[in-house]
Amino acid sequence: MRNLMQLSPLALILLLPLILPSLGYAENVCFKCHKQQLFKNTFTHKPVADDNCGSCHNPHVARYKNLLQQNVAALCFSCHEKAGREFNQGIVHSPVKKGDCTACHAPHASNDRGLLNKRLADSCFSCHTATPKQFEHTHTPYAKGACTACHRPHQADNGYLLIDNTDKLCLTCHQQATLQRGHANFPKQPAQCLSCHNPHGSKRKGLIRNEMHKPFAEGCKGCHGKEQEGAATVCLECHDDVKQQMYTTHSHFTAPGKGNGCLECHSPHAGDTTNLLISEQRILCRKCHEETFHRKESSPYPHPDAATCSNCHDIHGSNNAGMLKGDGNDVCAGCHKDQGQFTHPVGAKIRDPRTDQAVTCVSCHYPMGTEYKYQLKRNGQKELCILCHRAY
Amino acid sequence: MYPLSQGLLIATQYANRLKLHKMPGEYAMKNIFSPSSTRRLAVILLLCLWSAIAEAKTPWHWQMSLRTDSVVGAALMPTTLYVDADKERYYLIDSGNNRLLSFSREGKLLHSFTADNELKIPFDMVRTESNDLWVVEKGRNTLTQINTQEKKTTPHTIEHNGRLVFPDRVEYTKNRFYILDKASGDILVLDINLTILRRVACPTEKGAGGFVDFKVVNDDIWALDRRSKTVYHFNGDGVIADRIHLGDEVLSPVSLAIDANEVIYILDRLAGTVAAFDRSGKNKYLFLESGQAQGQLYFPNEILFDPWGQLCIVDEGNGRVEIFSR
Repeated sequence: MRNLMQLSPLALILLLPLILPSLGYAENVCFKCHKQQLFKNTFTHKPVADDNCGSCHNPHVARYKNLLQQNVAALCFSCHEKAGREFNQGIVHSPVKKGDCTACHAPHASNDRGLLNKRLADSCFSCHTATPKQFEHTHTPYAKGACTACHRPHQADNGYLLIDNTDKLCLTCHQQATLQRGHANFPKQPAQCLSCHNPHGSKRKGLIRNEMHKPFAEGCKGCHGKEQEGAATVCLECHDDVKQQMYTTHSHFTAPGKGNGCLECHSPHAGDTTNLLISEQRILCRKCHEETFHRKESSPYPHPDAATCSNCHDIHGSNNAGMLKGDGNDVCAGCHKDQGQFTHPVGAKIRDPRTDQAVTCVSCHYPMGTEYKYQLKRNGQKELCILCHRAY
Repeated sequence: MYPLSQGLLIATQYANRLKLHKMPGEYAMKNIFSPSSTRRLAVILLLCLWSAIAEAKTPWHWQMSLRTDSVVGAALMPTTLYVDADKERYYLIDSGNNRLLSFSREGKLLHSFTADNELKIPFDMVRTESNDLWVVEKGRNTLTQINTQEKKTTPHTIEHNGRLVFPDRVEYTKNRFYILDKASGDILVLDINLTILRRVACPTEKGAGGFVDFKVVNDDIWALDRRSKTVYHFNGDGVIADRIHLGDEVLSPVSLAIDANEVIYILDRLAGTVAAFDRSGKNKYLFLESGQAQGQLYFPNEILFDPWGQLCIVDEGNGRVEIFSR
């Protein structure tokens, strides 16, 4: 205080613009340049409504874009503490995981509740471009753009960020008695609705998925009532190509819950694609291979085009490690056509001195992601090379 | 946890950062005893000590590798190992080359056997008292009987209650075959005539995915469910005596081994590690790491004890068997 008292009045006047913003007295100063009407709308963020620009922005200098005090997520969660804690749990929506709150929310003001950038459905469709906006037959909540009737926008315990497991969710609107009337010949209480119905829409009445399994289209007896009903061998009777893939070193022939392992991934009745998958591949594979997906997502250098597992892996079975479609060279060379022309020699004649195995792309790279550029297993400057080239 | 070698590597990197070798002696000495350098040296010593303690926590030491020579060529995707206590031999199933490789107890390669090139993706094997080899052939989906004396091969397709069985891992003890059926995720117990005596079912609890490996120890069966990361201990009557939940200590459990003290060793295919658990499911220690160097694992497929108390790991990705002793 003695030092402050010693400051001349002129110095205090000069320091005033620095002191006042931090005390929150001079927010209106901002609107001398920034048009105030752009910051007010039907729904206005509380700090903006309170003219407290300094709670998020530093008026002079900042390390973050738009003169923000912190990065976007940290700044939001500094007030929305509970959300910050919750948004780490379960399956997290991609923008939330990236801390990109402003992908959906307007930080100052909005026409829409929840400070959304756009109307809810428009906001969703801005990323989910592959999802048709309408179908010949559209589910009512979908047609109304009420995505949050079924999905949680930030995180959820269920796949596709669903509010609840699918059967329970359907029953929140559809009465059990009505469902039973609509499934008169169903051998048991209707369940696993998504096995036949697309929850968004379809070209078929009743939202039956577009692609129907031939035996289902022809009736039930093609599969039901057989001696081996409930076993995968019922499927393999017709799908001989898949059967051959089960006769391999490593296959996906698993039978959780004693049932038919094929139904872990395929619908026996109807689907959106010809292979009748019950979900998108990235969701299906993740059910069992969470650790691989986690690695891919948490690695600074994952393979850029690794979204579709079946690009590299034989989904049913393979005689190669990791159920790859070929050895560690064939698979990569499918896309990396110039591989081998100018890089480290690879192939059956080039042996890894540590193991006497053929040197392949995966001797040095781990496509699911590593800490090093090009998915190298170690630092490519030296550490990686001296694993084999000991005299280097 | 860092093994000692990795700790030393980090220590060397720290030492290199000090660039002592580039400095004149007097300056270097001054630099060593400067406060910042003393702190760095303390870190180096701590890392070495930490590494030594970490390594000392596991009683297992690399003993040898079962590897081939240039004459027979490298093993390709070996899947499992069978150890014949009477003959003191290891039999490695060299799946990728459709052959069986035998090694002496000392690890010397003895023979390469292809059954006149008739084997089709062998996966596991046992030997019975009659000296017949019984090989799981994935390529045929059979349990194939091989009479080596008469050079006769007989593939057997197994069915149970009208359903085709997909044999995976196999064990044989006291005139009983134990076969893991990949189609159901259950273990089938068969007599020498391949008549199915009973089924040891994987419990249909939430998250269960079917067994991926099992071991028969004193008539009890210890079985591993990968998806629920649970080890089930069945007594001789097939009743569950224990459920051991492994938790998040393991990423992708693929095989298990049980020692005389009922310590459970879990082989993690993805992490390339072995985790030891007590019967309460408490993780005692974790050892080994992913890689290609000696003592490292790359997509390993099986862990088992040989009759001499050594821990054997079939390392599919590196085409060898790593053997560890206490």
